[in-house]
Amino acid sequence: MGCPNVGKSVIFSRLTGVNVVSSNYPGTTVDFTRGTTFISGEKFELIDVPGTYSLEATSKAEEVAQTMLQEADFVINVVDATHLERNLYLTLEILERKKPSIIALNLWDETKHLGITIDVAKLEQALDVSVITTCALCGTGIRELASKVGDAEPSKTIEPMSEEDRWLKVGKIIRDVQVVQHRHHTIRERITDATVKPTTGIPIALLVILFMFLFIITLGNAILDYLMDPLFYGYYGPWIVGVVNSFAPSGLLHDILIGTSTLESLDFEQSLGILTTGLYVPFGLVLPFVITFYFILSLLEDLGYLPRLAILVDTGLHKLGLHGAAIVPTILGCGCNVPGALATRILETEKQRFIAMTLMAISVPCMAQSAMIFAILGRYGLRWILIVYSTLFVLYIFLGLVLKRLIKGESPELLLEVPRYRKPDPVTLLKKTWSKAYGFLAEAVPFVILGIFIVNLLYVFGIIDVLSAVFSPILTAVLGLPEGAIVALMLGILRKDLAIGMLLPLGMSPQQLTIACIILATYFPCIATFVVMLRELGVRDMLKAAGLMIIVSLSAGIIMRAFLIGI
Amino acid sequence: MVENQLRNTDPEGGGVPLTSLLPGERARIVALGHGKGQQHHFRTMGLMEGKIVKLIATQPARGPFVIDIEGTQIAVGRGMARHILIEKL
Repeated sequence: MGCPNVGKSVIFSRLTGVNVVSSNYPGTTVDFTRGTTFISGEKFELIDVPGTYSLEATSKAEEVAQTMLQEADFVINVVDATHLERNLYLTLEILERKKPSIIALNLWDETKHLGITIDVAKLEQALDVSVITTCALCGTGIRELASKVGDAEPSKTIEPMSEEDRWLKVGKIIRDVQVVQHRHHTIRERITDATVKPTTGIPIALLVILFMFLFIITLGNAILDYLMDPLFYGYYGPWIVGVVNSFAPSGLLHDILIGTSTLESLDFEQSLGILTTGLYVPFGLVLPFVITFYFILSLLEDLGYLPRLAILVDTGLHKLGLHGAAIVPTILGCGCNVPGALATRILETEKQRFIAMTLMAISVPCMAQSAMIFAILGRYGLRWILIVYSTLFVLYIFLGLVLKRLIKGESPELLLEVPRYRKPDPVTLLKKTWSKAYGFLAEAVPFVILGIFIVNLLYVFGIIDVLSAVFSPILTAVLGLPEGAIVALMLGILRKDLAIGMLLPLGMSPQQLTIACIILATYFPCIATFVVMLRELGVRDMLKAAGLMIIVSLSAGIIMRAFLIGI
Repeated sequence: MVENQLRNTDPEGGGVPLTSLLPGERARIVALGHGKGQQHHFRTMGLMEGKIVKLIATQPARGPFVIDIEGTQIAVGRGMARHILIEKL
């Protein structure tokens, strides 16, 4: 365990090996990771405890950290050597609990060019536990750390003390063991400063966002056009149609498996078969964009750019009852609303969390949804995509302004450490991208297939006709959509990307598609997001949020109808 | 010396708010105001009495301050920055 941003997760993954991912922004490891490791033949279970500055439980993350410490047999305390003074407070608190402990003095390599000298032997003496210097990113010191874990002992010299005394003790240890040389501003620091000064920082931020957007669109489209489409249409399609036709040339099973696809007219978008549309939507249309999104997000994350962005947007977000740090869950939400909703835990008050989650559920479409919006509206021109996103953006601002005044509670100010820029490690970067993309597939494929299966059943049993008749007054009279759109709205609760795909067979005009996309984005979160929000907000607040969603969605739909189609 | 500074954190102890600094200026923190909770929070972020800070940037429209303290940059909301009392160097 240790403070945020000290490299706990990297050390953790070095010790445990496979399939563990570290993140650079605070708060995201509240859902902790567990892993096992073998050290000199003995099996240990390791837990990556969420980062915390102290054990006085003032936030959820700190509570979790405290409980975990109580249950642990031994503690590896990861300490940032470049910020020893700040980190030692937590170290003392841990040692006071008398658990066998060992200290990993991480980021040791960086102390040299920062002009910091630490006397490790003296530090060991003062704390009475082993201190191992490590560099998690390059891997030095990790083996030694592992070999010493077995011999970890509780500190005999550190006794429980008051908060005041703890700070004094920290000060005393620092004076004994650390020497900091004064250095002049380097060029690297000047560039670093440029990204937080408003005159240079705001243009840089706009460029970064523009680049991010272009990168996702261009590379995503390239993967779709040159890899996924040739694979699906050239190889997979003919093969699967042949296979299914060989044992089920027609009938219910044939329709559920490959829908209306035939060898002559392969149709992955509208055929509604589990093995055609069901695989093409997640693998073909969405995955290329999900991969590129997570790649660029992980890159910005590992570089340490996101906190800078938080500073620049802080003033604006304050007007919406949030503060700068809320940009992190929002950007995560652009990938998938589930981690986005979880990341709102970095916000301090319930008011902020409610606003951030509600705004996200209503006006931040996930990457899967965005990919489908691009795929479907893109063929009619960029204009329609822009209409959808500007509407969502206006809703975000408008709702935020309203909610800030409506919701009781506090919106505290920003107090955020801005980590130094770090060089991203390509292997970690790729690992991270892969694990996020894999997470998407594991989540999306079963739900998309289930969704298509349900649609098939609904059609077979004629339930669609009944539902269409019931909802047609709202859909056709009020929103100007064909009554068949009810299928999309129903599936939207399962998965939004599939729901947008369901709009295709309805033969709608671009105006109607635009309205439908806006409604699908806003009216309700998908089931996965709903479950997380329910857990995070509680039943009452979730009901409030859901009510807002329906009102906002209907109003936006009606206004856009008047705007685009006329009354 | 540090002992005295730690105990003597009442705002009357002198100093002007951090908000009076201009970008590029340096100052020594003399007191942290407003409640134990906030004081503790400040200290865990490395903002401690006796430390030298430098103002890197301020954001327009009453946005946050970005300060450098021993090589770490911290963004502090303007209201909070008012509770950090300093002595210009």
